[in-house]
Amino acid sequence: MDISRRRKVTKVVAGSLAELYPHNLQMYYIPPITEISLSEFEDLALERLKVLRCLELVNLKGANKFSDEWKASLCEEMTKQGLKNFYKMSTAPTCKQTDAELQYRKKDHLSHFILRLAYCRSDELRRWFIARELELFKLRFMSLNADEIREFLNMNNLSYSPISAEEKDAIMPSLYESTYGSTALLSEKDFFRVPFTDVLELVRSRKVFVQAGYAYIPSSEFVAVMSSVYRATLGQALMMTYRRLPNVDDERLVPLLKGLHTSYVGEDFKTPKGGEICIEDLDKHARASYPLCMRFLHEALRTHHHLRHFGRLQYGLFLKGIGVSLQDAMRFWREEFTRIMDVDKFEKEHAYNVRYNYGQEGKRTNYTPYSCMKIICSSVGPGDHHGCPFKHSDVKILANKLQAYGISSQYVGEISELVKGNHYQVACGKYFEATHGKPSNGIQHPNQYFEESQVALGNRPAIKQEPMSQNSQHSQPNNYPSKPKPVKQEKVEEDVWGGDIDLSSIDMDVA
Amino acid sequence: MKVEEFSPDSLPDLLPLYYKRLFPYGPFHRWISYGNVEPNYFQNREFSFTLAEDIYIRFKSFIGREDMEKEIQKRCPYKIDIGAVYATRPQERHMTAVFQPQERELVFDIDMTDYDDVRSCCSGADICNKCWKFMVLACKILDAALREDFGYEHLLWVFSGRRGVHCWVCDDSARKLDVSARSTVAEYLQLVTGGENKAKKVVLNSDKLHHSIRRAKNIIEPQFESMCVEDQDILGTPEKISKVLSLVPDDQMRQEIEKEMSKQNTPSMKWAALTSVVQSWIKRGQLKKWRQFLVEEIMLQYTYPRLDINVSKGMNHLLKAPFCIHPKTGKVCIPFNPRAAEKFNPMTVPTINQLIHEIGQFDKEQTQEGDEVSLRRVKDYRKTSLNKGVVIFEEFVRKLEDTWKGKQIKIEASDATLKF
Repeated sequence: MDISRRRKVTKVVAGSLAELYPHNLQMYYIPPITEISLSEFEDLALERLKVLRCLELVNLKGANKFSDEWKASLCEEMTKQGLKNFYKMSTAPTCKQTDAELQYRKKDHLSHFILRLAYCRSDELRRWFIARELELFKLRFMSLNADEIREFLNMNNLSYSPISAEEKDAIMPSLYESTYGSTALLSEKDFFRVPFTDVLELVRSRKVFVQAGYAYIPSSEFVAVMSSVYRATLGQALMMTYRRLPNVDDERLVPLLKGLHTSYVGEDFKTPKGGEICIEDLDKHARASYPLCMRFLHEALRTHHHLRHFGRLQYGLFLKGIGVSLQDAMRFWREEFTRIMDVDKFEKEHAYNVRYNYGQEGKRTNYTPYSCMKIICSSVGPGDHHGCPFKHSDVKILANKLQAYGISSQYVGEISELVKGNHYQVACGKYFEATHGKPSNGIQHPNQYFEESQVALGNRPAIKQEPMSQNSQHSQPNNYPSKPKPVKQEKVEEDVWGGDIDLSSIDMDVA
Repeated sequence: MKVEEFSPDSLPDLLPLYYKRLFPYGPFHRWISYGNVEPNYFQNREFSFTLAEDIYIRFKSFIGREDMEKEIQKRCPYKIDIGAVYATRPQERHMTAVFQPQERELVFDIDMTDYDDVRSCCSGADICNKCWKFMVLACKILDAALREDFGYEHLLWVFSGRRGVHCWVCDDSARKLDVSARSTVAEYLQLVTGGENKAKKVVLNSDKLHHSIRRAKNIIEPQFESMCVEDQDILGTPEKISKVLSLVPDDQMRQEIEKEMSKQNTPSMKWAALTSVVQSWIKRGQLKKWRQFLVEEIMLQYTYPRLDINVSKGMNHLLKAPFCIHPKTGKVCIPFNPRAAEKFNPMTVPTINQLIHEIGQFDKEQTQEGDEVSLRRVKDYRKTSLNKGVVIFEEFVRKLEDTWKGKQIKIEASDATLKF
C-alpha cells in the first residue's frame, strides 16, 4: 500500500489504532502503511464500492439529498446490501474509542485509499468517486455535534472563526434577506465569512449573502465549507495518485484495480449493438421506440428544420448509438437543415459537427451518447429543445403532449405525479410501460431505452442481458457486485477480471 | 462624399488597411500580456484566426507584439479569437504530454437571439434600438453583480459587432478561477431557465428576495413598462396576453386577472390590472408566502439577462477579440462604458469602410494645410470614430496596469537585494 513512498509518513502512522484514528471523521491526509492480504484488499475495495454505489442509487430515486427521506432510503438500501453497520457508524458515531469503532475507522481509511488507486485513472472516474465520497463525508459531518466538530477542526488544523458581532450587525439586513431558509434564528446564529470559492454550491443556488467575493454563511451551513475543503484535497490527491500509479506494477493488483469500476459504469453505447438503422424509419422509431427526450428533439427538428447546438449533440450522438451510419446521419441532417438554409451554409457550419460526433474531426474521439444523468443535469435555455422532458417541461405541457401521443389518462396522471416528485427516470420508465405494455428494466440511458424497446417490439432478438445495474431486481445473490458482465459481441479492453481467475483464492500478502 | 454601405465582399480589400493602420496593437498587447508579471503570459496564450473561406486556425501563439502584428497583417484574419493561457506555448502543444488551460478571463456572452421569445420588434440576427434596451439592462445588472457581489473591478464590455455584447472579467483572481467556480458564477447570474417546453422560466420559490435579485429588480422596475409593455407590446394581442397569463400558476387568480384585464383598453392599464390583482391577493393573504413574488417573476422572465453560460463555464472557450471587424456587418467590436450603456447606440458603431474613409479625409485635410510632421505623430485611429472606443479601452488597461505595478516593483526589488 505504500504508494506515495513518502518516508516521513512512516513515523506518523506507526502507532496504536487509537492514536492513528482519533476521530470518527477523517480527511484522509495520510495513506496507510500496513500489510494486508490480497483477499482483504479486495473485500475492502468491494465493500466501499457497494457503499458508494448505494449512495448513487439513492440519489437516482430523486429525494432531496440528505433529507430524512433520502437517509431512510439509504439506510434501507445499505441494509439490503449487508452494510447496516457501516450506515450506523457513519450516521450515529459513538465517537468513543471502542475496539469496534477503531476497527471501523481503520477499514474506512484503508478502503478509501484502495479505491483512490482504482478511481484516479480518468477524469470521469475521478469525478464519480469525488462526488460519492463527498456525499459520504457530508453525511458523516452532519451527524457530528458541535463539540465533535470543534475537535475535528482542531485536529485537522482548520481554523475558521465567526465574524464579530459588530460586523454582523452592520450587514444584518442583507443576511436576513439573502440567507436561505427561516429567518427566525438568524440573529442568534454565528456567521462565517469565507471566500466564495469555498462554498460554490451555496453561491450557485443563491442561498447565502455574497459581497465583494466573500460569502457569509450561517453555522448551520458550515458543512458546505468543510466539504469544499475536502473536495479540493481529494481532487488533488487523486491527481497525485494518478501520476504515481505507474509505480504500482504488481501483477496481482493492477488488473484488480483496473477491473474494479467497469461493472459500474454501465454501457457507453459508443458502438451500436443491433443492426443498422435506416433513416427513412426514424419517424416510425420516434413514435414507437424513442424515449421522450429524443422524440421531442426529433419532432422539433422535423417542425423547425433546425436544432440548437446542444440539441444537435444530444440527438446526433443518440442516432449514432442506435446504429445510424455517418453517411446516413449526414444525409438526415442535411435534408432537414437545407430546408431553411442553403447547402453551402450547411456544409460550412454543420457538416463538420456531424463528422465530429462520429470521431472524424477534431480530437477524433468517438464521443459517447449522453446518459440520462447527463441529460437531466444539462442546462436548458430559451429556444432549446434538448434536456429531459420529465425535468425540463412544465407538468401541464408534458401532460398535454402525452395525451396527444395517445397515452391513457391514467398513465398521464401517474407520470405527472412522478414528475412532481422529481422522479424523472422512473417517470420515463412509466412512459415505456405505457407505450410498450410492459415495464422496463429501469431507464438509465436513452440508447438503453431504445434497445429495450426494440427487443420488446420483437424487432430484435432478446440478447441475454445481465442487469444494467445493481438496482434491477434480479441481481445474482451471493455474488460480488462488481463481477463484470459477460462481454457481448466486442471485447472490452479493460475487462481483465474476466474468466475464472479467482483472485480471492490467492492468499498472499500485499506489502 | 457619402460613405458607401458595407458589403462583405469588400473585406479582402479593406482588412489589410485596417490591420495596417487602425488596429490598436499597443493597448491590445498591453492588456493581453498583463504586464507579464507571470512569465510568458503572453507567449502561452492561444489565439485563433478565421481566414477567408472559413479556414479556421486554432492554437496560434505569438512571441511578442511585433510577432503578433506581423502575423495579423500577413494573414488579415476575418476574425481573431482569444483563448486560454497554457503552461506552454500553444503552437508547441505537441511537445508536452499535458496540455491543459491554466488561466483565462472570466467571460460572458449575451446574444440577442436568446431574447426572441420576449421581443417582437425583431428576431434572429436583427436588432433595433428597442431591443437593444435588453442588452443595456443585461449589462447594468451583470456589471453591478460582478462588482458588488464578487468584488471584480476590471470589466471590459465589448459590443460584439452585430447583435450582442461580451464581458471580459480580467481581475487576477477571476483569471485564476477553476471550471467549477466559473460555472458557479455563471449559474448564480442565470435566472431564466428552461427550454421550449417550459412556459414559466423564472421561479423564485422563496418568501424573500436574494439581494442580487432585488438589485436586478430595482434596475428593471422603472423601465419595465416602457420597455416591455409599450415597446415590445407584451399585452398587445390575445396570444401575447395568454403567454403572460400562463406565468400565473394559480387558476383562480389567472381568471381574475384575465377578467380585470379585459375591462381595460390600453396595454399599460392591463398591466396595472395584473399588478393590482396580485397586490390584493397578497394583502388578503391569499397568496402562498413563497409565491408572493409573482409580479417580479414575470418582470424577470421578460428582462433578466440571458447568458450563454456554456461560454462562461469553460476555460478553453474562444471568444472574439475586441477591435475585430464583424465579417457580416463590417462593424468594429468596440468597447463601451457600462455606466453609459444606454447612450451606446449599436446602429452608429463605425464600419470598416467608414473608418478607412475617415483616415483618407483626415490625411487630405492635413496635407492641404501642409503640416506633414504632425500628420505622422498622430496615431491613425485617433483620426477616426474608432478613437472613442480606444480611449475607453486604454482607460481600462491603465487601471489594470495599476494592479501589477506594485508586483513589478516587488520583483525588481527582490532582484536588487539578490545582487548584494
